[in-house]
Amino acid sequence: MNETKEITRIEAFFLPAGMSFETTTSTRILTSEGPVELLIPVLDGEKLKMIIANLSRNRSDYLSTLSTSEIIERIAVASEKWLNPSYPQRVLAEQLLPALTGYAADSIRLQLKRYMRTFRRKELLRFIGEEFDDPLVLDEFRPRKSGGFSRAYGPKLLFQVFSGNVPGVSLWSMTMGLLLRSAQLGKTSMAEPLMAVWFAQSLAEVDAKLADSIAILPWKGGSEELEREAIRQADTVTVYGGRLAVESVRAKVPIEKKFVAYGPKASFAMIGKEALTPDRMNVTISRLAADVAHYDQQSCMSPQCVYIEDGGSIDAQGFAALIAAELGRLQLRWPRASLADQEAYAILEVRNRYWLEEAAGEGSAVYASTKDAQWTVVYHNTPRFEGSPLNRTLHVYRCRRVEDVIPMLEPAGQAGLLQTCGAAIGPHRMFALAEALGNIGVNRFCHIGSMLQAKAGWHHDGRFNLMDLIRFTDIERTMEDELEQYDPDFE
Amino acid sequence: MRPESKTIINAVKAYIERHSVINADSMASEQAFGELALQLFQFQCEYNSAYRNYAKLKRKLPNQLDSWRDIPPMPIQAFKRSPLACEPPEEAAAVFMTSGTTNPEQRGRQYHPTFEVWDASMSTGFRSFVMGDIGKLKILSLSPAEDIHTNSSLSRYLSQALRLFGTSGSQSYFQQDGLVVEQLLDDLRACEEQGEPVLLLGATFAYVPLLDTIEKLGIRFRLAPGSRILDTGGFKGKSREVSVNWLYEKFEQCFGVPRTLCVNMYGMTELCSQYYDTTILTGAFTKMKLGPAWLRPLVLDPNTLLPVAEGNVGVLAHFDLANWNSCVAILTEDIGVMEGGRFELIGRIAGSEARGCSLAVEQFIQSNGLQTS
Repeated sequence: MNETKEITRIEAFFLPAGMSFETTTSTRILTSEGPVELLIPVLDGEKLKMIIANLSRNRSDYLSTLSTSEIIERIAVASEKWLNPSYPQRVLAEQLLPALTGYAADSIRLQLKRYMRTFRRKELLRFIGEEFDDPLVLDEFRPRKSGGFSRAYGPKLLFQVFSGNVPGVSLWSMTMGLLLRSAQLGKTSMAEPLMAVWFAQSLAEVDAKLADSIAILPWKGGSEELEREAIRQADTVTVYGGRLAVESVRAKVPIEKKFVAYGPKASFAMIGKEALTPDRMNVTISRLAADVAHYDQQSCMSPQCVYIEDGGSIDAQGFAALIAAELGRLQLRWPRASLADQEAYAILEVRNRYWLEEAAGEGSAVYASTKDAQWTVVYHNTPRFEGSPLNRTLHVYRCRRVEDVIPMLEPAGQAGLLQTCGAAIGPHRMFALAEALGNIGVNRFCHIGSMLQAKAGWHHDGRFNLMDLIRFTDIERTMEDELEQYDPDFE
Repeated sequence: MRPESKTIINAVKAYIERHSVINADSMASEQAFGELALQLFQFQCEYNSAYRNYAKLKRKLPNQLDSWRDIPPMPIQAFKRSPLACEPPEEAAAVFMTSGTTNPEQRGRQYHPTFEVWDASMSTGFRSFVMGDIGKLKILSLSPAEDIHTNSSLSRYLSQALRLFGTSGSQSYFQQDGLVVEQLLDDLRACEEQGEPVLLLGATFAYVPLLDTIEKLGIRFRLAPGSRILDTGGFKGKSREVSVNWLYEKFEQCFGVPRTLCVNMYGMTELCSQYYDTTILTGAFTKMKLGPAWLRPLVLDPNTLLPVAEGNVGVLAHFDLANWNSCVAILTEDIGVMEGGRFELIGRIAGSEARGCSLAVEQFIQSNGLQTS
């Protein structure tokens, strides 16, 4: 069927109006609606220089003259377009992203609309309000409580290196760039180069001049000429991705430039006996299974292991067996992406290791899909902390109380590798658990079932969002007071 | 040794003897191979409890199998966990250990109550794949012999080769403090001058510094016709990595040994038999490897552990009838592709990188030495 249809060509880049470059096409992607090829611009350092010059001009001519509330308004209108199921870019995303990323179409549809809701005006206001007592500080010098005035300035040129693991993660970064009046050059990953482009198009539909300060370009990570030029001109560099990606960019950024990295992190879940009562058990299992299944654990917010407390109506091994069955059902609903050989080997390695442990009667049990490496649950009768090879591989640890495993998480936490704890425990235990885990480096708690839906304004990897990118200029009280004497009319 | 072990040993030895001539038809004995493989598996399930428990878990006990291809290959990780042996490990004549490149604390162990089968397998394979129609050759070995590495299967392999196929004066040039390069070069020169063909043996990585030295000295050998070179094992980060093509070009330049007389051996501590490429056997250069009739590979889909179609890449499993004391089938961490009963080794399973900000298990280890177990 697909062969008979015409090839659709989709631009996998976004440039300010009036700029166009020669393009090449990507390998063909087969979608439900026929074959698609992505158009990729052929770039070199000179072209990138032109693009950056254009972005910077457009920024100072227009974006920098807008107020924060004007920008919020435009972003909100652009992203609310995405909440309409027949919005062309959304239709395209729902067709193309499953083919491009391998993630299940229904899972992408669900996650995408949940995600786009976090860009409503109220959420954007909250996002800024989270970090600025007085958001007008982004627009003008504002009085400080201690006297004097301050104003915040965003980067003039923000070079952002996006990762391709979760569709759309780049959108918050683009939003931040806009709120800070930065010209932005976004480098996308070929694993998912499209969402940032489509979002820029939505912005352009709302305000073409605003979008003219954005360029979204895919190139192969590590391309020396392009990255050197981008970094040379940018005053701030942000990078999202794995260790290698982050380190490769970091090595090129001189110390006087601002460098913000969101490197690899792992998340986990904790289930208290309160969530394992007969009436709650099934919901608990299906919520956690959904967290595992969405985006095949490729998000840093995805749980890689779960600690199951004794004393519930099922024990940890029963939980492992049941969540395995649930993952089996989810495979029908949201089939997992097909794996690269290396990914399959990594899962095989873990399965082998624990099959051997199980065979030796050492307290592990493996629950694994038989036909294919679609899902794997490994039960352990004593708690430890172990990363997962991902792609729906979950370690289930039995523990007496979830609080008991904190020391085992500590090394990974101290190394800065832990991020989200999805928890289901009694409310009286919340603060003590959060306190203890926060102390070792965990930076986000949420209920299971919503691990992948961080709220607008969350402290991403425990840090500020806008605050990390801005600089302040202060007018001190002495200046304010003493300058009065130079007024000719001063007594 | 229990009588059942003796019976099995005799059965395997008889099989090796019956199939001692290795040619393209050696794969024809499918039925005989299958029968003995299943017999071995049954024997091992009886006396090797770790293998039995694994087979039970995989629901692949002897009475649950239709073919030798269903025998569950034991992951080589298992050789690191606990003794895998039918005869009591403490009574073994020798134990061979893996190099422990990844974790020196955890070395795979293969127990050998006797070398009867191992020796028969090694010599029969070596004769066909390396020696061809030559009985003995002057052998110069670059890698440690068994007196230096008592627990190395490769060292025993090299020592056996010297004993069985070496003319007098054959020796290992690897001494306690490394390769005795000067003497090796002198002896090579002497062989060249006397027109005596030689057989060089050694680990692949051992050749690289030797070739570098030869280059640096600006010397060349034209070894006598019939001279041949065996390398084994690849690089595993031991020396700078070079391509196979580079290596064989250098062999030709530096030693005057053509590609058609170079052979790469693939062996493992966890096996008692060796594969070779069929270059010397057939006279045509190839990377495709073949084992003797008692050693068969399967390429498995990493997702399902079922055999893949010819030409598809997968993880290698080996069925070695000479592995009578441990596990007749093993699952390696190597990837390969099959074609007409032979396989090409493509590489080792490497850890996978996550696609973005999620930290995959492999990176945990890289990031901060956090061991996963």
